[in-house]
Amino acid sequence: MSEQPTVASDAGVGTRPVVDARNISKAFGGVQAVDDVSLAVVPGEIHAVVGENGAGKSTLMRTLSGIIAPDSGQVLVDGVALQPGDTRAALAAGISLVHQELSLVPEMTVAENIVLGSTPTNGGFIDRREQRRIAAEALEEIGVTVDLDELISRLSMALRQFVEIARAVARKPRVLILDEPTATLTPAETDYLLDMLQRLADRGLAILYISHRIPEIFRIGDRITVLRDGQHVDTVDVADTDPDAVVRMMVGRELEATLGEHREADPGEVIVSAKGIRAPGVNGIDLEVRAGEIVGLGGLVGAGRTELVRAILGADPRTDGEVTLTYDGVTHRINSYGAAIRAGFGYIPEERRTDGLALTMSVTDNITLPNRRHLSRGTILERARIKRFAAQLADVVGLRPPDVSREVGQFSGGNQQKVVLAKWLGREPVAIVLDEPTRGVDVGAKAEIHRLVRELADDGKAVLVVSSDLPELLELSDTIHVVRDGRIMGTLDRAEANEAAVMALASGQTAGTSAGSDTTSEVDA
Amino acid sequence: MMTDEPVAETPSPDQAAATTPAAEPGIEERAVTVTEWMADRGIFIFTALLILAAAVFIDGFASLTNITDVFNRAAPIGIVAVGMTFVVISANYLDLSVVAQVATSAVVLIAVSNEYGFVLAILAAIVIALVYGFVNGVAVGVFKANAVIVTLSTTFIGLGLLRWVSGGSIYFGPPDGPVRVFGSTRLGPIPLSMIVLVAMTLLLSFVLNRTTFGFLVKAYGSNREATRLTGANTAMVVIGAFVITALAAMVGGFVLAAFSNTAVSSMSTGFDFRALAAIIVGGTSVFGGRGSVMRTLLGVVFVSVLTNIMVLSGLGFGMQQMAIGLLIVAAVSVDALARKAGTS
Repeated sequence: MSEQPTVASDAGVGTRPVVDARNISKAFGGVQAVDDVSLAVVPGEIHAVVGENGAGKSTLMRTLSGIIAPDSGQVLVDGVALQPGDTRAALAAGISLVHQELSLVPEMTVAENIVLGSTPTNGGFIDRREQRRIAAEALEEIGVTVDLDELISRLSMALRQFVEIARAVARKPRVLILDEPTATLTPAETDYLLDMLQRLADRGLAILYISHRIPEIFRIGDRITVLRDGQHVDTVDVADTDPDAVVRMMVGRELEATLGEHREADPGEVIVSAKGIRAPGVNGIDLEVRAGEIVGLGGLVGAGRTELVRAILGADPRTDGEVTLTYDGVTHRINSYGAAIRAGFGYIPEERRTDGLALTMSVTDNITLPNRRHLSRGTILERARIKRFAAQLADVVGLRPPDVSREVGQFSGGNQQKVVLAKWLGREPVAIVLDEPTRGVDVGAKAEIHRLVRELADDGKAVLVVSSDLPELLELSDTIHVVRDGRIMGTLDRAEANEAAVMALASGQTAGTSAGSDTTSEVDA
Repeated sequence: MMTDEPVAETPSPDQAAATTPAAEPGIEERAVTVTEWMADRGIFIFTALLILAAAVFIDGFASLTNITDVFNRAAPIGIVAVGMTFVVISANYLDLSVVAQVATSAVVLIAVSNEYGFVLAILAAIVIALVYGFVNGVAVGVFKANAVIVTLSTTFIGLGLLRWVSGGSIYFGPPDGPVRVFGSTRLGPIPLSMIVLVAMTLLLSFVLNRTTFGFLVKAYGSNREATRLTGANTAMVVIGAFVITALAAMVGGFVLAAFSNTAVSSMSTGFDFRALAAIIVGGTSVFGGRGSVMRTLLGVVFVSVLTNIMVLSGLGFGMQQMAIGLLIVAAVSVDALARKAGTS
């Protein structure tokens, strides 16, 4: 009781915690994910929880919302202990979690999704009028306009995220937990979301905000709790700290400058050539990537960048266009995904959990997957070589812990992404395509992944990067193509590229209009 | 494993002592560990306990005649099961059409060798197995149709065709033919059928664990899209899994025919679920990606011993059938719980 938190009371910020998590510990199979962490949130407060991937943020939030039961410790809401591991009890007490991985039902409407789990009924039948009323009210509360009868599968990622928030808000929560809500959002959409959260907090809602993005936290946060390796490092008032200090607490060491490290690009021959690419969402795009060059694809989510790179690779069929890969004086025509990989492409997909990794298999197995021919004699796998090969690649990408016999699913997001990179590095690809290479990845792993990408280019590979993270795009790319509506709207070289220039092109010179109209216009995208 | 790690250094006596809720997660944690452990290792213990219990309590179990008889009966289903393990690991549930495949193989072996000779009979059976494997594999791997429905349909087609052509008659092999000789030969006390089962297990275990094909079957079962995106020809992986199952079912049919030197279209009823029971009880996951051929062999031993115990205890076929059904439900539930625990 002695450590009852007190908060410097800003306007509207109360002092009695609405949620008080005490001494929470949770281990997963020997890994101590959360280790004796306490956290209190007061009404009207935006409380940021930061830490590298694997620091225990998500586990802590899942404990608060009753998805998992802690090994020890308890969660109090208004001083009353919650039944651990009971999501219904947590919801009833007013703890509402907005999921990191979207949990909407794609083939249901906006209204149906918002009330899902507490669908209003009338004599055993669904009360559609009440359903629409609740949904409309929740959407109005967060200030988002979207057709209640639209199917989720037809919405942009940003709108899905907003519907997810409306769903949490519809339950009249006391505490709203958001786990990396801006991971898939563009800067304009992020702005909109942050303003929305600020408004909700001003009305007395307590918000727990998990993010890797330090600037966002400093913009809206009241207090910051830093976790590292499952342990509570510190809880500080935003007013009393600065971004550098927070990053230092997160990583527990000084980071070498992650930004602005200028790589002297020396592009050689054209390696990747794509002409007249058309596919669903891609409306005639030409692009080239030279040896030693990093070409970035910028644009809003849903602009067609992922569709473009998948069409170039043949991972999804293209309706028109020609792709070639040229090196050592030989030109390979790429007419199928198999041909792309055989010719020397490597592809790090956007969704590492569903497309990039076999999560139930070991790191070794995942690394073996694209390298199986190289690692077998005839059709027999050579185990001793595989072991050495995997260990060596794990070392190259800096896997932590460097235990390649562990299942990939047990690693943190950043380390999983390193495994995806390691898979392809083993093939020594001529050209490599990376789609959102650091999404949901912590600061340290991000810097390491950036280093690896630069090294690939320095090695003379052709590198094509899709990123919604503007600083990352600007930092890595030698040339940036900005994509909108499946077309290249403009190309910026290193000298002329900056955030404003990219955004102006990405939003079609309408960067000044409000985020609200911006996002709603994406409904039919 | 019994007690959780000691609570961290920071002393907070009032909270550590007071709460009953804090005690419950510990229990759940242990329960989860037990399910995971059961899904992973349970079969070894259960099989050993079952054999031990049977040897002690069941009259006539621990005799050489009974044990050879158990294995003789287990061999055909076991051979089918080790092959079908490939389909299960590829996350395509199972191949129901093994029922039709085994019966067809048995009838072809005896009926065709009676008319045209032994070699032609085996060639015909191989061709038929390949057709089964390709039809199932193409429908599931290329057209992405649901494996359960596809193989349920090919069962109907195959059994229908067999009954139509054979008229439902029972075929007997000549008393001195190669089938009869195979069925009655023993190496010391060991029937040939058992040696075939062990040989098939070793061969398929090698294919699954050591070849690029087997590796891809596992990878595909774990995540088909990620496997496709590494440039693998996933359609061939699925076709391969069904072809291996079909070839194993063919061998299982041979052994079944040789056992009694007779063949009839209805002789393999229940092979689909008995094989599945052995696979799942062995610890291969129906979610794909996890499992092994060796485990299936162990599952075969477990299911066969259990059946034998029931026979020796005078329990009828109905009871045996119920037991197999219960066993599958229990095993898939443990599998699902373990998966849930592993991913949370």
